[in-house]
Amino acid sequence: MQSTIYYKAKKTTVNLIIHLFLLTVGITCVFPLLWMISSSLKTQETIFKDMSIIPKSFHFENYYHAWIEGGFGRYFLNSIFYTVAVVIGIVIISSMAAYAFSRLRFAGRNVLFVIFMAAMMIPIQGSFVALYVLLNKLHLRNTSLGYILCMINVGLSTSIFLLKTFFDKMPKELEDAARIDGCSKIGIWWHVALPLAKPVLAVVVVLNALNVWNEFILALLIFDSRPLMPLQVALMTFQGEFVTRYPLLMAGLTIAALPIIILYLLMQKYIIKGVTQGAVVG
Amino acid sequence: MFKSKVFHSAILVVFISIILSGCASKEELCKTNITVWHWMTDREPAFKELAKRYEAKSGIKVNFDLYAPSDAYSQKVRAAAQGANLPDIFGILGEKRDFASFIKAGFILKLTPYMNEDNAKWKNSLFAKALAVNEFDEGNSYGVDSGIYGVPIDIMTIQMVYNKSLFRQLGLNPNKPPKDFTELLEIGKKISAAKLQGLVSGWGEVWMIDCFANNYAFNIMGKDKVIATIKGEVSYTDPDWIKVLSLFKDMQQSGLFASGLVTMVNKTAEQLFANEKAVFAFNGSWCVNVYKEMNPKLEYGAFLPPQASDKYPMAIWGGAGSSFVVSARSKNKEEAVKFLRWLTERDQQVYLAEATNNLPANKDSLSKIPDILAGFARAMDSATHPRVWGVSEFSPVIEAFDKGIQSIIIGEKTPEQVAAEVQRIKERELAKKR
Repeated sequence: MQSTIYYKAKKTTVNLIIHLFLLTVGITCVFPLLWMISSSLKTQETIFKDMSIIPKSFHFENYYHAWIEGGFGRYFLNSIFYTVAVVIGIVIISSMAAYAFSRLRFAGRNVLFVIFMAAMMIPIQGSFVALYVLLNKLHLRNTSLGYILCMINVGLSTSIFLLKTFFDKMPKELEDAARIDGCSKIGIWWHVALPLAKPVLAVVVVLNALNVWNEFILALLIFDSRPLMPLQVALMTFQGEFVTRYPLLMAGLTIAALPIIILYLLMQKYIIKGVTQGAVVG
Repeated sequence: MFKSKVFHSAILVVFISIILSGCASKEELCKTNITVWHWMTDREPAFKELAKRYEAKSGIKVNFDLYAPSDAYSQKVRAAAQGANLPDIFGILGEKRDFASFIKAGFILKLTPYMNEDNAKWKNSLFAKALAVNEFDEGNSYGVDSGIYGVPIDIMTIQMVYNKSLFRQLGLNPNKPPKDFTELLEIGKKISAAKLQGLVSGWGEVWMIDCFANNYAFNIMGKDKVIATIKGEVSYTDPDWIKVLSLFKDMQQSGLFASGLVTMVNKTAEQLFANEKAVFAFNGSWCVNVYKEMNPKLEYGAFLPPQASDKYPMAIWGGAGSSFVVSARSKNKEEAVKFLRWLTERDQQVYLAEATNNLPANKDSLSKIPDILAGFARAMDSATHPRVWGVSEFSPVIEAFDKGIQSIIIGEKTPEQVAAEVQRIKERELAKKR
């Protein structure tokens, strides 16, 4: 009897501690978002005086001003276009490359794979000047194509690594069966490997979409023409050298964060599956 | 099967659009006559307006391209220089040695001949100390051919500001800021007695502490002795340096400093001063714009840090705020120079000052700008800047000096201890150099 009470008390205490910990982590994650939304509804003056999460008066017009002054319409479409193009490019190239690294036997396979992995270690800032000069020589500077190719290149290493880890674990019998049914190598990749890799692909899509959506330094470097810039550049409009227009910046950030939050919510099921199935094991 | 067709079509559409959109941008660029790259987000609308006015006047279209933040801008300029894609006009951020490297690589047009036209009319219209930042003297240590290479668009000075309402609350005359250091310490005691917060500044970002200390070093021992110290000819344990360091102890003891000053970042200091929570602030002329945004009703005035000695005049940091240079490889060099000359004429400078609350680089514009801005600009006579001293202190020495001052403020070390420590590091660095 005594031991039952003891175990019940122990279980409750442990659960309480775990829940308190999770609640703290949850609040820590959500608080910046709440602060961002709250600040987006204040004025430039009250943002420094009113420290409460719920503003005394709501200034929804900040969203309108941010959209108009930041020229969000054009940049929003640009960002969607770049994100879709880059993610499609990465999914196709990285899944083909990962499948080849995992299943095909060819000379220099391991060396090539190590080189790809080494590319993960190079921060993009370190390659800015080289990229600029290369794109200039290829006449791709100040073009969407140049930017998209660079961003595909940025996302390839991690994506190949994730997908190869998954393909390595995929049963070979499935491929043998497909081969008996008359599938070519491309056919196996398309009809067998890719459908099975959906959870990992979801991780690849979200990681890369997030990366492209939030990127702006490479865009600033490559583009001279403002109409080609992505959404994040518009947010810079509100950040002056000495004065930052916080309410508009926060409203802009809220607008910019929405598509990624929606994407995450849509793919949440696959991402959790991808992670729990060992997509990132390695 | 249907799904597969849709997928392939989507990919095809995306890539065709990519290629088409890649072709579109070049046409737009061809229409521009002069291209200016800059990083000054808050000045963008004013620049665009001036570009319109210039086009109406001269028929030449000026395209201001904004690339912010400044770090990304600097990278773009460096990359463009290597790719031979620099625009007609641009700015160089960073130290003077970066500026020198661009000149030596042949990227920047020498402006001395243009400045000296018509009996140096252009040159004389600008603040000499703002021009000095863009100038290289004969026999300079960077090995650059002497002359002027940049045009200051605006200037800045770093001074003290005081809150007039809080002055009234303390029983002080709101139009009479302290004249000397003793008076400042007396006000410090009153602030402490009234339980108000005294001086706020970004002394957590150590360069501002360095700036404040250097002001008093110039006042107590004069420029020559400061330069001699940097050259290693005078020790930091010299009584004059001890006196400079002791000022911080005196200010702390009088109650002049706001709590948390040592670790305060300038944004916090600006917020506190703008919200009338501090009597004094030590800040740059950019603060006019910042305070206006945070609290348009703020009543304040600017003044030079009060003198601690009558031996030498007080010096403050100041000079060119932002400058533009002309690309030596530009096809539109002459037009670019003409545009910069027009941009720094009185009317355009007055417009820029009014629209952006930055100090104009043109001396003749002062009578037409708001009082508080003119107050900052008038202090230009007392301005100096490490970039024009011709010598620079070792970074570890600057760090030890600034952190030492922080230790004095928190009562961890005495001025003598800090001076000895700084001198020890100075000697170590000098030995390394030898």
